Amino acid sequence: MFFHIVLERNMQLHPRHFGRDLREKLVSKLMKDVEGTCSGRHGFIVAITGIESVGKGLIRDGTGFVTFPVKYQCVVFRPFKGEILEAVVTMVNKMGFFAEAGPVQIFVSNHLIPDDMEFQSGDVPNYTTSDGSVKIQKESEVRLKIIGTRVDATEIFCIGTIKDDFLGVISDPGTNA
Amino acid sequence: MSGEEEENAAELKIGDEFLKAKCLMNCEVALILEHKYEQIQQMSDDPTNQISQVFEKSLQYVKRFSRYKNPDAVRQAREILSRYPLAEFELCVLGNLCPETVEEGIAMVPSIKNRGRALDEEAIEKMLTDLSLIKKFE
Repeated sequence: MFFHIVLERNMQLHPRHFGRDLREKLVSKLMKDVEGTCSGRHGFIVAITGIESVGKGLIRDGTGFVTFPVKYQCVVFRPFKGEILEAVVTMVNKMGFFAEAGPVQIFVSNHLIPDDMEFQSGDVPNYTTSDGSVKIQKESEVRLKIIGTRVDATEIFCIGTIKDDFLGVISDPGTNA
Repeated sequence: MSGEEEENAAELKIGDEFLKAKCLMNCEVALILEHKYEQIQQMSDDPTNQISQVFEKSLQYVKRFSRYKNPDAVRQAREILSRYPLAEFELCVLGNLCPETVEEGIAMVPSIKNRGRALDEEAIEKMLTDLSLIKKFE
């Protein structure tokens, strides 16, 4: 899910930037530093939308660098266990398939794909029901439920399932085109 | 860290910080990011204004999965949903997935059922019908 939240960061600024456009420098450095990063607690920082406040700077002994506490508003994407969302299939193999929902990767293992769907190898590997009515392949849109998340320093990975009511393919690229 | 382990969106356990935060529907995120994308492009002579991969992927995603395209419809959708006693997170899941039946709605947002709120099946049905009407008239 996307959220609009306020975060705080201590920004260190080199003395050469002190001057009329100090604030501008601070903001552009902040954008460069945090946009596109990911933390386990807040998820992916997609975009900064505004600056709430810039606190008083603190001169660091010996270096001349100044630390400013900056509060900023941003759009973040944070997946939650138990959340249901839509995603695009990016890769299919016999272990299951990978899907993407914005910046996050979600793996759905073949144990969590309905039992009546079989893996078909070939040019376009896919999972298909025995009557061929439902097919999951690259670029299919699926609705899935996140059942687990793994967080490391710079990335969040999710495990999902489509083995539940109202989950599964929304549209497959073959029939929709 | 103990809060991390109990996390479960189906029961609305998403941590205090996110529970109080403003949630955004995909269509709202699309409006924000498209606006920002235009701004960045206008300043594209500045090489420091690089677009991050996270931004690009998010923009593609929300464009693809936006239920409502025009800003008026987006506003209406939020307006209709906020008439009901929903948490921000629940509101946005409903707005994103647009379930068609009460049963589907409860499957998507199990927490609307088990918090003993003034939200019976009739109210849920009315809410979903109102929501689908926006789409029809868009």
